[in-house]
Amino acid sequence: MTLDILIAEDELGILASLDFILKRAGWSVQSVFDGQAAIESVKKLSPKVLVLDVMLPKKSGFEVLKHLRKESESKDLPILILTAKGQKRDKELAKELGATAFITKPYANVEVVETVRSLLHKSKDIQGLK
Amino acid sequence: MRAPIGFRIRNQRKSLAISQARLAKTIGISASYLNLIEASKRDVGGALLQKIAKSLELNIEQLTGESEQRLITDLGEAFADPIMGEVNLSQSEIAQMVVRSPKMANSFVQLYRAYVDSNASNQVYSNRLRADPLFSELLHQVLSQVTAIRSSAEILETVGDLSVQESGRFLASIGHESRLMSDVAQTLIGHFDQTSQNRRSITPTRELDDYIIEEHNYFPLLEDAALSLRLEIVKFNRFDENALLEQLENKFSITLKNPNEKKSAKRNIDDKKKNISTQFEYCKKSKTVWFSGTSRASTRQFQLALLYAQLSVGDLIKAQSNDPFFTLGDTKKLAAKYIASYIAGAMIFPYDEFLQDVQDSQYDIDHLGQKYTASFEQVAHRLVTLRQKEASGVAFGFLRSDPAGRLTKHFPLPGLLLPNSGHACPLWAIYGAFASSEPIVRQVVRFADGSRYFFIAKTTSKRLSTFNSQRMNSSVMLACDINDAKNIVYSRGLDLENEDSDVEVGPSCRLCTLKHCVHRQEPALYPV
Repeated sequence: MTLDILIAEDELGILASLDFILKRAGWSVQSVFDGQAAIESVKKLSPKVLVLDVMLPKKSGFEVLKHLRKESESKDLPILILTAKGQKRDKELAKELGATAFITKPYANVEVVETVRSLLHKSKDIQGLK
Repeated sequence: MRAPIGFRIRNQRKSLAISQARLAKTIGISASYLNLIEASKRDVGGALLQKIAKSLELNIEQLTGESEQRLITDLGEAFADPIMGEVNLSQSEIAQMVVRSPKMANSFVQLYRAYVDSNASNQVYSNRLRADPLFSELLHQVLSQVTAIRSSAEILETVGDLSVQESGRFLASIGHESRLMSDVAQTLIGHFDQTSQNRRSITPTRELDDYIIEEHNYFPLLEDAALSLRLEIVKFNRFDENALLEQLENKFSITLKNPNEKKSAKRNIDDKKKNISTQFEYCKKSKTVWFSGTSRASTRQFQLALLYAQLSVGDLIKAQSNDPFFTLGDTKKLAAKYIASYIAGAMIFPYDEFLQDVQDSQYDIDHLGQKYTASFEQVAHRLVTLRQKEASGVAFGFLRSDPAGRLTKHFPLPGLLLPNSGHACPLWAIYGAFASSEPIVRQVVRFADGSRYFFIAKTTSKRLSTFNSQRMNSSVMLACDINDAKNIVYSRGLDLENEDSDVEVGPSCRLCTLKHCVHRQEPALYPV
């Protein structure tokens, strides 16, 4: 079965609630806790959407983003960046590196669910084109 | 504009209820002459003015208006401040204000000074908060905890069919995150208490740092001054040690003491007491300069340029080091030293020409050193200041360490925390350079937040060594963002994209968030 969403987040409290709300919305979800594992899991599991925290151990979210955009299999993968760094500079950097969407912590659950929903649609469109 | 003396004499006389005739008699002049003085039709000064002042219980400054003049100038400055908006008072209106209500005018000036001081202080604080790594880290933790709490609370609030285990799990998560947040809040309060206690002891180095960051390490006024001074030197000669000596003699009658001669007796005794061996001496009295036989050409050139700058543009150095930004007396002294060195550096390495050479050589410091007869440290120093907006070089941070690992000099790079004293992370190239046989130590480092930098370091010596004078080694390091590394010759052969070979580092043990670092010597300031 294809995986819908991969979450890369090292804060366990946030991860538990993200996992719950996304599964409850009817999607299959798996999680990793650091940047290196995120890169490996994207390759292995081919998720439709990646929810990516910026402050991750081993490799930061920005480094993961940069890496994934260079790989042909993940260059179009819809990626939602979650960060407590809400400054304009970080948003610009995320955009520059190829993030599809950006949400600043603390967020409302519905905001995450709706953004992921639209990214899944986007993923479907991309798959359709292929 | 001065309030007239006669007016003040009459005012004070009346306020003391002394008649014109009585005062005239006391001071030994006719009443009609005193009348002329009070009507400002006769000048008054010397012994007579002193007598009048004494009889009217005033001091001379109050009568002549010197203190009022200062007040008028201060008020003029206050009313010229943009904060006063449309209030345009003329000089005569200000003078009248001072004459009629001196106490009120004085209070106004005091209030304005307090406002200026408080503004300067706010600026120092806001700069510090922006650059404070602990504050930034703790705020990040708070935001993460708030996110977990908010998200869990929303689930408990909006999902009606939660099982008992699920509810328990999210309630436990809220409890756990709240407790963590209390710990963070306490650390924050502790940090701020410490910060406010430290207010009186903000270090001059730190204050100067804030100033350098604020100005982006580039000072157009000083660059202009340096260029003019350089032109004075190169008018007839090329720019070198001999040309500097020649111009010092022409302009200030300063001559070079024979290097075989001893330095002045006083300096000799001072140095012996301090157990140091100086490389350079300038004696104001005899107008001579002296260099130790072991001094390097680069040191001699720099010291002569520094002396030339100090003597030629002393007023500019003084004015710049009196910037209201500096709230501590010691910072002003430190700033004066920094500014004079900045000018000397800019004289040796004229901005445009040097930038071109820098770019042509791809920041090859030793090559640049040979071209400009400069040491590695002097070139590195100048590279840090190539920050002119329209024509800038790579943004560098600079550090110097003694062989004991203590940091003795630093220039900040926004975004990278360079400790300004004590010790940096022991893994940094600046320390590796002491042990390495390589001429330059190169390093790609990664911090816990994922940011990556390129470090280069080299061990240098300020003077030639002899049996009696030991080498004075120090290690000099330049740091730049990883994205700039490709423009630098020293990155050749390194795979900058490959993060696997990065060295994981922190700023210093106290501020490092790496969890399992085997090199940790001190506990972190906050939980890792």
